[in-house]
Parts: sequence; C-alpha cells; structure tokens
Amino acid sequence: MSSTATLTPMETKPAEHATRTAVSVNRADKIFTLSRGKKLQALAEVDLEVREGEFVAIIGPSGCGKSTVLRLAAGLDRPTNGTVEIFGAAPHELATQHRLGVAFQEHALLPWASVRSNIALPYKVAGRKVDDARVDGLIELVGLKGFEKARPKQLSGGMRQRVSIARALALSPDLLLLDEPFGALDAVTRRRMNAELARIWGEEKITTILVTHDVDEALILADRVVVMTGRPGRVRTIKNVDFPRPRDAATTRSPEFHELVDELTSLLDANDGDAA
Amino acid sequence: MNTPTRTSVKVAYSLAGGALLILAAQLIGQFGLAGRAWPPVMDVVSYVTTPAGASLLWRNTLVTFSSAAQGFLLGAVIAVLGAALALVVPIIRPGMDRFAAILHAVPTIALAPLLITTVGREDAPAVIAALSVGFVMFVTMASGFANTSSAHQDLFTVIGANRTRRLARLELPRAVPAFFDGLTLSAPAAILGATIGEWFGAPMGLGLVIVSAMQNYQMALLWAAAMAATIMSLLAYLVFIQLQRVAMRRFT
Ligand SMILES: Nc1ncnc2c1ncn2[C@@H]1O[C@H](COP(=O)(O)OP(=O)(O)OP(=O)(O)O)[C@@H](O)[C@H]1O
Ligand SMILES: [Mg+2]
Repeated sequence: MSSTATLTPMETKPAEHATRTAVSVNRADKIFTLSRGKKLQALAEVDLEVREGEFVAIIGPSGCGKSTVLRLAAGLDRPTNGTVEIFGAAPHELATQHRLGVAFQEHALLPWASVRSNIALPYKVAGRKVDDARVDGLIELVGLKGFEKARPKQLSGGMRQRVSIARALALSPDLLLLDEPFGALDAVTRRRMNAELARIWGEEKITTILVTHDVDEALILADRVVVMTGRPGRVRTIKNVDFPRPRDAATTRSPEFHELVDELTSLLDANDGDAA
Repeated sequence: MNTPTRTSVKVAYSLAGGALLILAAQLIGQFGLAGRAWPPVMDVVSYVTTPAGASLLWRNTLVTFSSAAQGFLLGAVIAVLGAALALVVPIIRPGMDRFAAILHAVPTIALAPLLITTVGREDAPAVIAALSVGFVMFVTMASGFANTSSAHQDLFTVIGANRTRRLARLELPRAVPAFFDGLTLSAPAAILGATIGEWFGAPMGLGLVIVSAMQNYQMALLWAAAMAATIMSLLAYLVFIQLQRVAMRRFT
C-alpha cells in the first residue's frame, strides 16, 4: 500500500521541508520472546512513511501492535527485522537531541511533581531554561488552568492524559507521537481537544503520529489514516483524508465524512488477525 | 485515611498497652517472680530521680546518642553513595551486594576487638553503629533505586535525559520513600550498635554503664540504662516513621 519512496539528495535540503521524510519504517517485524522461549509476533512487515509536517493516524484493533509501532519510532524498541529511520538517522538520536515528544498510553507523570513541573520537565532534562510563558500557554491549552499546583494523584484520568500531552508539546518537538491521548475523555472534551490539537498542528506543523480507536478523531485530525490488521499487525490500508481544514462540525456532518467513517469502520471489523 | 477518632483510639490502645506492661513489670519485681535481678519498676524510677542517678544516666545517654548519631550519618551517607554508584555503574552492583552481605555477616563481637585496635576505643561505637546502619541503608536504597517503573524510564529516554539528570530527576526522588524506610529501620540499629560498641572498653556511654552495673550488681542502674537506651531507640523510630509517612505521601 504505502509507497516506499527512496531518499533523493534534494530531500535532505532544509529548503525542501515539505518533501523530507520524517519517519520511515521499512518491512519491520517485531517478535517478542515470552517466557519459556515462546514467541509472539506483534508486527509483520510494517511499512510506513511519514513526510515532514504530515499528520498520520493509526487505527486498528486492540493488541494489534499500534503502541509497538510508536515504540519503534521513539527508539524504545528495535525491530526484529527491517529498519526504522527518523529524519534519516537512528530513532534514538532524535530523543538525545530533545526533538521528540511522546504522550504515552499510561501518561507516565511524575507523582511527586506538580502539573506545572511535569509539563516543564523536558526543559529541565534538556538543560534549558524553562519558558514560563509557553508552559502557561500549554496549561491553558489543555484546560488545566487553576490546577498548576495539583499533583497527578489529585487529577482525573483524563486530566492526567492532558498533562502528558502538554508535556509532549513542551519543547515544540520535530516529531510528536501520541498513543491514544484522548482515550479517557468524554466526547465533548475529546472533540475540543481534537480541535486544539488541530490548531497547534496547523500553527507549528509538527510531524505527528496519532494512535486512536476513534475513527472520527482520526478523520478530523489526519492527512492519512493507516488501518492495521489484528495480530500480527500489518498495514491493511492507508487512506488519504482530503477534507479541507479546519475540519469543523460542517465537515463531520457531511455525507462524505460519514462515508469514510463507515468504510474505515468496516475495514476494522473485517479482521483477518487473531487479536482479541 | 486516619480520621481523628481512629487516631485517638490508636493512641489510647498504645497508652493502655504501655501501662499494662509497666504494671506487669512492677508486680514481677515486687513479688520477686523473676529472682533478684528483676527489681520493681518503682525502684528503678526512684533511682533515676535521684540527682546523682539522673546526671549519670543523662551524661552517658548523650555520649551514646552522639556515637549513634555519628554512626548513623556516616553509615547512611556511605550507603546512599554506594547504592547510587551501583545504580550508575551496574557492573559493580553484584560485587557491592556481596561485599555488604559479607560485612553484615561478620559478628559485631568479632569485629569489635579489631576496631578497637584500628580506630580506637572512643570511635569504635560510632563505627559499629555505622556498619549496622550502612548495611540496612544499602539494601533498602539499592531496592528503592531498582524499583523505578519502566514507563518512567521510557519517558526519560524519549526526552533525552543523560545519566545525571535521570538520576537527579527520576531515580533519586523515586527512592525518597525507600530512604526514609531505611532510616526508620536503621535508627534503632544505630543505637544498638553504639551501645554494643561501648561494651569493649569505651570511656563512657550507656554500654559501659550496663557492663559495669552488671559486674557490680547494681540492678536499678542496669535497668535504668537499658531503659534509657530503649527510650532513645523508640523515640528515634517514632521520629523517622513520621518522616517516612510524610515522604510516602509526598513522593508517591
Ligand atoms: N514488551 C512486550 N513483551 C511481550 N509482548 C508484548 C510486549 N509489548 C507488547 N507485546 C504484545 O504485542 C502485541 C501488540 O501490543 P501493543 O501494545 O502494540 O498493542 P496496541 O495495538 O497498542 O493495543 P491497544 O490498542 O490495546 O493499546 C500484544 O499482543 C502484546 O501482548
Ligand atoms: Mg496501545
């Protein structure tokens, strides 16, 4: 499905932003070794190309390897076979340069730090001066004004997720990886956060990979939607989403939108994997 | 959570328990149930309230306290640094674990003469206290450092933390409850270590008082010194358990 474009010399020039490849996953397999030598194949020959500034959503049944794809892109895991390159280099290099933002599925907030300190953590770890104005802006953006001093255990699950999104955005990363960041939110808050994320993405053009279970959300936000099969996860289809931005209620009510939602939902349904 | 009523019930129980214990000790002594070596509690109390007895106990308690405190500090600092080193340089961790275990396995009684000839009789109590504290602190800190969640480790990897910042911003704060756990366990160990250290010819201290009272059959003094050591141990424990609770609330 996905065309694996080869890197031409032109694409590495800064002037050619729009066509530079940000993420390139080539025929990646991931096989986990479980106890007693049993093996579990999570990913099979996954191909994925994300251009710089592009927003790609990944949808697929639970346990199909979506988080695993993000972990490969973040440099937290290596593929068993195949290659992963981020901006033409090994994935972990982006992290060491503090150019990566990740919102994990389980938030991973520091329990001893306030909301504000959690969001400011990437600055401190990068050895940079905390940009207070930006941190304030992010707190406002994720709707946590008044909770700056609260600690994670005083927040609801959805609020914690929002802190972790703000933290991922703190350093204006070159690559943003979001693993079901809005999973714990109610429908209304979720759409509002979708709109905010779309706005930030529109302003900063951060290359983004979003994992979600919500087909509508994928279509509201993404330039392309990757549909994965059940275990072992493969790329089943990649759909281009051409609705004009900003995609407001008028878009989501349109028949074309509903058609695409139905199509993607049926692709998720018609599963040939053995995932639960 | 502790509601005020439940706390007061707990306090009432501890007070009642303490009173019962004292009453039992008094009766055993009064009727000579445990022989002549068990004096009635009131005899011990009246000894402690004489000016001579009070001053003797107070001066020696201070000496033991100071040795225990020095040993406590020394042992805790060395153990925390050692555990942090074993975390940053994982290759030395097994060696350090074994070293701590062997050091701990050597009986204090066997170590004491050695220490008296090397560090001198005045410093031996503090060193013995440091050894007991060091072992407990090393073990609790090593496990406290090891128990960071993989999600947090992943977070620090993706934000590009170097070794120092990972230690300062993740592993150290995360180990704070373990640190106070260790202090709570080692405070009584420090006082016990210092007291035992004083048996081997220290010029002053509760350990010395205990040995000499035993040799001269001064039962009231022996019991008073033992009680002073116990109270000190208990107070240290109570102080650190409070700190430990605060740390637990603040860091998890
Ligand atoms: N560290 C690991 N060791 C062994 N198996 C693993 C490991 N991580 C993931 N897996 C397995 O790989 C498969 C894919 O997991 P992954 O977390 O990527 O799924 P997912 O698509 O993100 O699911 P969900 O939508 O429920 O979050 C699962 O079957 C899981 O059991
Ligand atoms: Mg997942």
